Amino acid sequence: MGKNTTVLQPLLVENLFQSQGVFLKLELIAGENGLQRKIKRPEAHRPGLSLCGFLKEFEPARALVFGNVELHYLKDLSSPLRAERLAAILTEEVPFVVVAGKYRPPTELISLCKEKNIPLFITPLPTMELLGELSTHLLDAFAPSITCHGTFIEAFGVGLLIQGHSSIGKSEAALGMIDRGHRLISDDIVRLRRRKGNILEGSGPELTRHMMEIRGIGIINVAHLYGAVCVRDTKSLDVIVTLEAWSDEAFYDRMGLDERTLELLGVQVPHHVLPVKPGRDVALLLETIVLNFRLKLMGYHSAKEFNAKLLETISEKVRKKRR
Amino acid sequence: MKLSQKVKVKNILGLHARPATAIARLLQKTRSQVFFTYRGETVNARSIMSILMLAAGKNASIVITVDGEDATQTMQSLVEGFEQAFGEAAHES
Repeated sequence: MGKNTTVLQPLLVENLFQSQGVFLKLELIAGENGLQRKIKRPEAHRPGLSLCGFLKEFEPARALVFGNVELHYLKDLSSPLRAERLAAILTEEVPFVVVAGKYRPPTELISLCKEKNIPLFITPLPTMELLGELSTHLLDAFAPSITCHGTFIEAFGVGLLIQGHSSIGKSEAALGMIDRGHRLISDDIVRLRRRKGNILEGSGPELTRHMMEIRGIGIINVAHLYGAVCVRDTKSLDVIVTLEAWSDEAFYDRMGLDERTLELLGVQVPHHVLPVKPGRDVALLLETIVLNFRLKLMGYHSAKEFNAKLLETISEKVRKKRR
Repeated sequence: MKLSQKVKVKNILGLHARPATAIARLLQKTRSQVFFTYRGETVNARSIMSILMLAAGKNASIVITVDGEDATQTMQSLVEGFEQAFGEAAHES
């Protein structure tokens, strides 16, 4: 259902600086003309060996982080050699350079960055801390993502994506859920990202955040109508429910013994197909699916437990008969 | 049948709430699956919120993809709609 597309928006050094500049205590000291450079790889690299002239396997498109060791090593070199070694690693593709740990960058590094328009930052953060934070943020920014059609809500702490054809009643079902005290993350369009640990995280586009379109009413702002408690910006995706028009020919899951899943970005997500028809309280059914999912997480599987009990009763009867 | 065509937004204010409503109305009579692609983002054109989310301005070029039995007619009426700015003023007067 719906068409899923990978969204590839290039991450510019400027975006990173704007979003993480304060947190990483970055201060731009040269190469401001290069802020439009694209970050092509989610990696930050300490040049170490490459600075000694060993350029085999050197990956030129990574951000460079200079720490204590690099700066002390550079200090020991003569000025022309320093410039030469730096020029060798500051290729056209290097997105940006950070000097960590309150150090003053060597003049050769500053002038090279100016000349090549490579943004040069300094930060008082210790090198390892900076590397950790930077890698986490870059990996996050490069996380695979898709946009899909559906309404995303949180119920009892569970992230529930409601899918189905247009006008099947996704938004109405979500409105029913919100009325019962659950939260809206996004209506109609959801961006999913695969984060570390195979977790899918869903959010809505900023422009349409907290907005819903209800046929016959129009566009409503849920946060204004129901209060801030009824919305949230992001949530991990736990269950997908596809609403389907009731068909007498289709056979729907009557037992719930088998776990069905749907693959999104390589992650298997529990999936239910829920037939709708007049008289079925969809919000109540969705709540039940979510509660049942929570029970399963706690190790209690209603259908399996029931079947086990049934099998036990049958075998007991057989035993009695034999006696 | 699957069709794909590039169109230009002619509305002065871009694809705002009114043209989005017009698109929804136009598509209500059709049966095909319809998608709009703009700036690497593909959305379901039957969803008003999705169209609005694109925030496509005047002269934005959108790729329409239509898939279904009535693809030809659907595409034709959509292209006409874009051409006529969905009944709105297309040029600044």
